[in-house]
Amino acid sequence: MLDKHELSNVLSQALSKGGNFAEIFIEEKRISNVLCEDNKIEKVNLGREKGAGVRVIKDGQTAYVYTNDVSESGLMKAAEVAGRTLAAGKEQNREIHLTPIQSGLQFEFLRLPEDVELSEKIAQVLSANQAAREIDDEIRQVTVAVGDTHRQIQIANSDGVFVEDESARIRLMVNAIASRDGMIQTGYEVAGGLCGWEILDTVSIQDMAQQAASRAVAMLSAEPAPAGRMPVVMHAKAGGTMVHEACGHGLEADLVQKGLSVYKDKRGEQVACRELSVIDDATLKGKYGSFRFDDEGSPARRTVLIDQGILNTFMNDRLTAAQEGAELTGNGRRESYQHKPIPRMTNTFIASGNDDPQDIIASTRQGLLVKKMGGGQVNTTNGDFVFDVQEGYFIENGEIKYPVRGATLTGNGPRVLMDIERIGNDLGFAIGVCGKDGQGVTVADAQPTIRIKELTVGGTGQAADKIIKRIRRK
Amino acid sequence: MEELLRQAGEKVLWTARRKGVEAEAYLLYNRELSVDVNRGKVETLKEAEEIGLGVRVFNQGRLGFVYSSDLSAQAVAQSVQDAIDISQNTPLDLYNQLPEPVNSYPTLDIYDPQICVTPLENKIELAREAERVARAFDPRIAVVERAGYEEADFNTLIMNSKGLLASAQGNYSTLFISLVAQDEEDSQTGFAVMSKKKFAELDPAALGQEAAHRALRSLGATTSATANLPCIMEPFVTARFLSLLAPSLQGDAVLKGKSMLKDRLGDKIAATAVTLVDDGVLPGGIAAFPFDGEGMPCQRTGLIQDGCLKAFLYDNYSAMKADQVSTGNGQRSSFRSLPSVGITNLVLSPGLKDPADLRIDIKTGILITEVMGMHTANPISGDFSLGASGIMIREGELAEPVRGITIAGNIFTWLKNVQAVGSDLRFYGARAAPSIRMEGISVGGQ
Repeated sequence: MLDKHELSNVLSQALSKGGNFAEIFIEEKRISNVLCEDNKIEKVNLGREKGAGVRVIKDGQTAYVYTNDVSESGLMKAAEVAGRTLAAGKEQNREIHLTPIQSGLQFEFLRLPEDVELSEKIAQVLSANQAAREIDDEIRQVTVAVGDTHRQIQIANSDGVFVEDESARIRLMVNAIASRDGMIQTGYEVAGGLCGWEILDTVSIQDMAQQAASRAVAMLSAEPAPAGRMPVVMHAKAGGTMVHEACGHGLEADLVQKGLSVYKDKRGEQVACRELSVIDDATLKGKYGSFRFDDEGSPARRTVLIDQGILNTFMNDRLTAAQEGAELTGNGRRESYQHKPIPRMTNTFIASGNDDPQDIIASTRQGLLVKKMGGGQVNTTNGDFVFDVQEGYFIENGEIKYPVRGATLTGNGPRVLMDIERIGNDLGFAIGVCGKDGQGVTVADAQPTIRIKELTVGGTGQAADKIIKRIRRK
Repeated sequence: MEELLRQAGEKVLWTARRKGVEAEAYLLYNRELSVDVNRGKVETLKEAEEIGLGVRVFNQGRLGFVYSSDLSAQAVAQSVQDAIDISQNTPLDLYNQLPEPVNSYPTLDIYDPQICVTPLENKIELAREAERVARAFDPRIAVVERAGYEEADFNTLIMNSKGLLASAQGNYSTLFISLVAQDEEDSQTGFAVMSKKKFAELDPAALGQEAAHRALRSLGATTSATANLPCIMEPFVTARFLSLLAPSLQGDAVLKGKSMLKDRLGDKIAATAVTLVDDGVLPGGIAAFPFDGEGMPCQRTGLIQDGCLKAFLYDNYSAMKADQVSTGNGQRSSFRSLPSVGITNLVLSPGLKDPADLRIDIKTGILITEVMGMHTANPISGDFSLGASGIMIREGELAEPVRGITIAGNIFTWLKNVQAVGSDLRFYGARAAPSIRMEGISVGGQ
């Protein structure tokens, strides 16, 4: 890491060919992963990485150069390349005065990654493997992985922003595979946060393993999901993949400004039912998408995106905020020093409502109950989204009838937000790594139990409005 | 640069020898350039330089792995020591062995000097040209999200304690464009990408036209009724399905019981029209290279021949365990990862039929032009349920566009349901496929 004086010199160099804005992002990371598969420790990785990215913006054009050489001379070279890459302008000599920015947020990291012995991580992973396999002898394969990242960053820019920060993230994952008569089903559990290994005081990886294995076994007896349009109840435990895909991406300012979002020109308009609010909040303690500063040095914030049905604001980074003179929302994130920052979600959720979750199910005549969601994808231009259901049940006359497998939900974001009929008083989180423009960043998403009037359920079963044929695959 | 990589590699082997363990050094020096243009103006220009080391230590059958982006003598020695520490915590496995030295590697044309001598301005012009052509194609091309040029130039050097030494330099370049077509009622996206080993083969005009055509033909799409319909899948979509199939063809998955194709060698697992090859030495293939991520020679491996399962893919470890020979498929995505079994250039062999002839006798069917959510399909069971869009086929002709539908099925049934294969082989990165015609597929809609 460099001192303030050295950073100022590099920024001056980057701007010497006439740029409007320059920024340095230096990152030092230590990563470790332990993976168990096939009843043995299959992989143990340790990685150390140092790198820096220099960004220069001139008249809306961005030059980004990165290198592993984080010495002052290495960065001067990167700054020189970035500076001259953009069309040459008037030579200038700008002096940069850096002012450290403080954050009101304090996150605790009680047991940093390097304070935990490798043998302890291995013991945790092995006991989870054991716990999953003990659930049933139909469990054929179990994968357990734990990983941690300890990251230090320095950010300095020509507006004088200077930020130094340090954080850790932990991730725990279990995947269980069950098989019966040639049929295979999987169960998946993942947990993690912006925290140290004290996460194990509140999250049991052994419990996660049992849940994943139980789900894989239960899904062996599931019916093929019915196909067709029907009401869908999403349990709070399902996490917020739907809000992430159905509306989150469309509220990222870069997509909006490029005309690639259905929410373009909709600020101040009603885009959801009156009871619905959607919030992005990077300040939540210990959540996977939290941070003190975003990757451009802006302090973390809580941003109300949709306020009781009305579109309030978009998520921006410095570039998109400057474009429309908007206030920074602290959503400028990047995967690593190898990438330029772009607007990204942090922890995104639908705010809790007033309904009793039990009553939401009980009042559903026929439909699908989603208890666990898988991955998803969205076309932000028209709002069409798709995601898969890991654990689903068919509801009939207000009762949960039987598990269904292989369901995929497709719908249209703007329409779904209008079509939410009931909002529960609970809230459940899920975590993930969200991909956009080839960059993965850690996110969390959440929602209460909700009911959507109608979604298209894709499955291999017969249409739901006919009599459902109960065919078991042999 | 090769000299710098070699010095770091020698330091790894020297340190390991002094500590009494065997080791392998994987070294990568990678340079990338990417340019995005919008309305003819450069929006982002990115230049990257990356260097790194991956150390595998083999401590009497116990494995340790560490990577580092710091190649200083001190960091290299520390990495070896850390890898030894890790190896003391990992299980004994007698198949954890270094690959043996190789006498000769295939000679391949994988470096095009044209890429590095062409001035930056000419490369930017290629992206501009693609954008211009797309905008001029039709006034309804409302937004060009991004037109871009990318190139990568990489030196790889692998050496191990048994005396293996492999070193090579490769490069390639890519053009892409994504855009939106708009009319009064609807907007639809279009995308096209083209990666070439030979710079001169990049064709910006064809790229711009393809993306524009893809977006325009979907305008005004509505959803269809739920039904079971015969379908044609475009090369782009077929290639996506190949990635769902690929894990089941990996030797490691077979050994772990994660492949439904286990014990099926020699069986007819697909329709006769299906021939699938993994070709690490394919001329012009983006993934062609003389050796894999652990220094084993790359080769052409026939996986499915006329519907019969012929072979699985192996790296050194899984080959030894299965009593096979490595097929040169010990792939690494970067110096940050251990080698593991992966595809090189995966090609579904084309047939003789013109793609338009595939639909001639379909009364009511669907041409699938795009699928969403392939990453949510289950690579083990092969079950998929995807969002899709396409164009209805009526009386053998393309009719109205449809969107917001789902298609569901299973990849192993999919293989059997291929009725015919088109002649229009297209490459999408390291996967290549033609159009295919399928028997009925379950389509979920209104």
